[in-house]
Amino acid sequence: MENEIPSSSPSRHPTDRIKLNVGGKLFETTISTMQSGGPDSLLAALSSRHTQDPVFIDRDPEIFSVLLSLLRSGRIPSTAQRFSKQELADEALYYGIESQLRFAMSPPPLSGIDASLVTTIHPASDGLPSTFTAAAGDGSIWIAHGGQISAYDWNLSHTGTIRTHLDDITSIRRILPDVATVGSNSAAGLHFYDFCSASHLGSTHWTDSSDPRIYKARVTSIADSSNQVFASFDCQHRENCILVIDKSTLQIVSEIARQSGSSAKTMVPGKLTWLPDTGVIIGTAVTSGAFGYSGYIRIWDPRANGAVIWETSEPGSGRSSRFGDSFADVDVDVEGSNLFKICSKSGDLAMADLRNLGDDPWVYLKDKNPMMRYTGGAVDSVIHCYRSQVFVGREGALEVWSRVIEKENGIDTENVIGEELYRRNFVDKLEDSERGIIKKIEGGGNRLFVSREDVEGIEVWESSHLSGAVSVV
Amino acid sequence: MPPFASTMPPRNDLIRSQGISPLSDIITIDVGGQLFQTTKQTLALAGPKSLFSQFSQSTHVSLAPLFIDRDPELFSILLSLLRTGNLPSKAKAFDLEDLIAESKFYNVEPLLVNSLSNPSLFDAFNLERSLTLPLNGRDFPSAMATTSFGTLHVAHGSKITSFDWALRRKSTILTQFTAIDSLLAISPTLAAAGATDFSGMQILDLEKGSVKETLCWENVTRSSSTVQAIGSSPDFLLTSFESGRRNSNSIMVYDLQTFSPVTEIAHCEIYGADLDSAIPATKLKWVESHNVVMASGSHSGPSGILGNVKLWDIRSGNVIWELKERVDCFSDITVSDSLSAIFKVGVNSGEVFYTDLRKLGDTDSNPWICLGDKRKVLNVKKEGNGCKIEAHGNQVFCSKGGDVELWSEVAMNSSKKSEDGLPDRVFRRNLMGRAKDIGGSRITNLAFGGSKMFLTRKDQQSVEVWQSSIRGF
Repeated sequence: MENEIPSSSPSRHPTDRIKLNVGGKLFETTISTMQSGGPDSLLAALSSRHTQDPVFIDRDPEIFSVLLSLLRSGRIPSTAQRFSKQELADEALYYGIESQLRFAMSPPPLSGIDASLVTTIHPASDGLPSTFTAAAGDGSIWIAHGGQISAYDWNLSHTGTIRTHLDDITSIRRILPDVATVGSNSAAGLHFYDFCSASHLGSTHWTDSSDPRIYKARVTSIADSSNQVFASFDCQHRENCILVIDKSTLQIVSEIARQSGSSAKTMVPGKLTWLPDTGVIIGTAVTSGAFGYSGYIRIWDPRANGAVIWETSEPGSGRSSRFGDSFADVDVDVEGSNLFKICSKSGDLAMADLRNLGDDPWVYLKDKNPMMRYTGGAVDSVIHCYRSQVFVGREGALEVWSRVIEKENGIDTENVIGEELYRRNFVDKLEDSERGIIKKIEGGGNRLFVSREDVEGIEVWESSHLSGAVSVV
Repeated sequence: MPPFASTMPPRNDLIRSQGISPLSDIITIDVGGQLFQTTKQTLALAGPKSLFSQFSQSTHVSLAPLFIDRDPELFSILLSLLRTGNLPSKAKAFDLEDLIAESKFYNVEPLLVNSLSNPSLFDAFNLERSLTLPLNGRDFPSAMATTSFGTLHVAHGSKITSFDWALRRKSTILTQFTAIDSLLAISPTLAAAGATDFSGMQILDLEKGSVKETLCWENVTRSSSTVQAIGSSPDFLLTSFESGRRNSNSIMVYDLQTFSPVTEIAHCEIYGADLDSAIPATKLKWVESHNVVMASGSHSGPSGILGNVKLWDIRSGNVIWELKERVDCFSDITVSDSLSAIFKVGVNSGEVFYTDLRKLGDTDSNPWICLGDKRKVLNVKKEGNGCKIEAHGNQVFCSKGGDVELWSEVAMNSSKKSEDGLPDRVFRRNLMGRAKDIGGSRITNLAFGGSKMFLTRKDQQSVEVWQSSIRGF
């Protein structure tokens, strides 16, 4: 991202200056400001013209003045409030400085301890989102609702909706800028949809001619690397596996992690995460039954024919130091190489270092604040790690565990997972939690997206540097 | 580098094509004391009749700028519209009425219509319930007609109320009918109206409130000729007449410009108890791609509801294809040019069926493909009673009770179809609207115009407008 702020020191050479006539209004700026939009922008191209007369551009002068101050100072002036985000984006696209605008308009880095609900995205029909993906990482989101997929861009403006042949999309992942891959609990196969042409590109099915039980396999979770898609398939006979699919050909590369599904330790993973550092895939499965939660965490290496590198299952494995307090949900902190689990009985959060997994890798994080002490029994919990923060949805409440910076250089704490390094805070207010049980949390760009059970729309949480002071006069 | 750089034309072309012009093309205009500069090319976009293109033709470029004694703010909005094709957000400060009045002064209203009510802006997936248009008096709307750019005519009782394309102004005229059953908009100011209890079709001038022409069908019995349906093709006006004694019926074809009769098709005289030929056409739909008109009618007889669907070639006067409906006759039927299919709602099943226009086979076998529960075809509950079905663009809209279903085709990758076991064509349904929009009393009429969908409901003296959020307003 080109975010250097161009020097605004007074220019002594008159040849450095350039005059523009935008829609009848004169502007004067320097060539370096014009070129700060990047070598491919229209303004940079104009700055190379050596004429005495001002260059005439037939556009609206008021929006141009906003974009010029963006180039001069790197920030958007308050006069921009008169224009809609879409208008600014369109005009920036015309001048070729969209990346500058995007950088200046995007919210500050997401900090769970200081985030607020900014908006709720409502698709126009069938507003109950079944799932969503924010995997593009630029703050955009694709929402699956009622068999449709609606796309919202980095500006959160609606860019389109397509109808898929599925009636209930339960897993979705955006694997290419225009391609979504979707799966359903109620229909077989993994399906690829192209957003530009609004068409179905192809399907992948798990088949095995030697095993008649393998048919109508449904997709439960999807992960992807830069060139491959990993999808877990589950048959009606509970046989399950992970298929590795090539992104460019949409053909199956290999089948790994085939399991019988006969017990909680071998059922289909409900969450898959691909670790870019090591190239392994982490699958987790959790079910809750009459005797509490049970499930497993398993790490496979797709390159070594899906060999199991490490596994743990709860309850029952020696690798959990807490008896009768099995996990309710697990997520992988990809940036920090940590596993996090939320305990079903105590509600405690525990972490394990992925680089140092042993027999009992879990470190239980303590919550020192007596106000926050968790006393409830087992409740619906979802956990999502994003930007080295752990977001936990407990029923309707949204909380965040974030790491405290102890020493400025951080060397002393590097190798020790401190029990007391994490602090727990609520992200939301009490009234936010009454809207409904949190179903899914996912971070994307500098935003956190939250969907709730049987509630229309997706909540968007952002951090902001604006105080938001309210006048009471 | 901005992501769109690769799609841009080479730099020199860009500068030439995107409004950076030599000095001689620049036009200076003084509007109400404020100076604007733009190019001849931009002004020419307003069309040859507009005042804008007259500015560009004026020769005194070098002398004092042209002076126009109008509001500069409104002018700048219209200029932005010319430059970008979209209304700027500062237009929100004004009422749309101000803009329409100003655009009429400069003679550029088509530009405004284009940016706000162009049929290409219609986005079926993004429609929301947005407006209610009240109708004065105690009559309920009986028929609606629209033009392609969104002018709406509503017949209620003996009156017709017309709303302009922006739905800001209305006018009401009185007709000779007691109630109007068929209404068709020929132009924003001209409509054809007819009733099943009144002889003759009238061409009404909606501005003056006068009858421009009365068209009657001369039948053998010299009785009155009531109007059962009105349809149109780009050249012809089609009217289905029935004689007052109900023993003969016919479809008359008139020239759409002169209203002189061109030909008569589907003339039936009934002798004895031939039920089938006694059914007049109650819906006429032109199929542009096949150059035929679809005429359909149904009749409630002793053995249930019977109906027929015929495709007529106007030039030869022959039936191209005919279908007798005996089991699960249509409750409503429509044809979609862009989907190349006829759609119906079964009166017994209440399910949507389609048949492909490109594969119309022999009429003995059942051509309908059910898009819902096939078993309901034989039920006797008349679940489809009162359902309406209309095709618009690539979508089919079907009202069931107070709800509207949106049927869209999913473009499936043809090579993968057989693997998924899917039929030739895949249509999927969504219920329109968010939770708060769903429901209401039974829908009696559906119409589409411009970027909007209009519907009327039982026992409501108003028209409901659904539109997608459009930038600017």
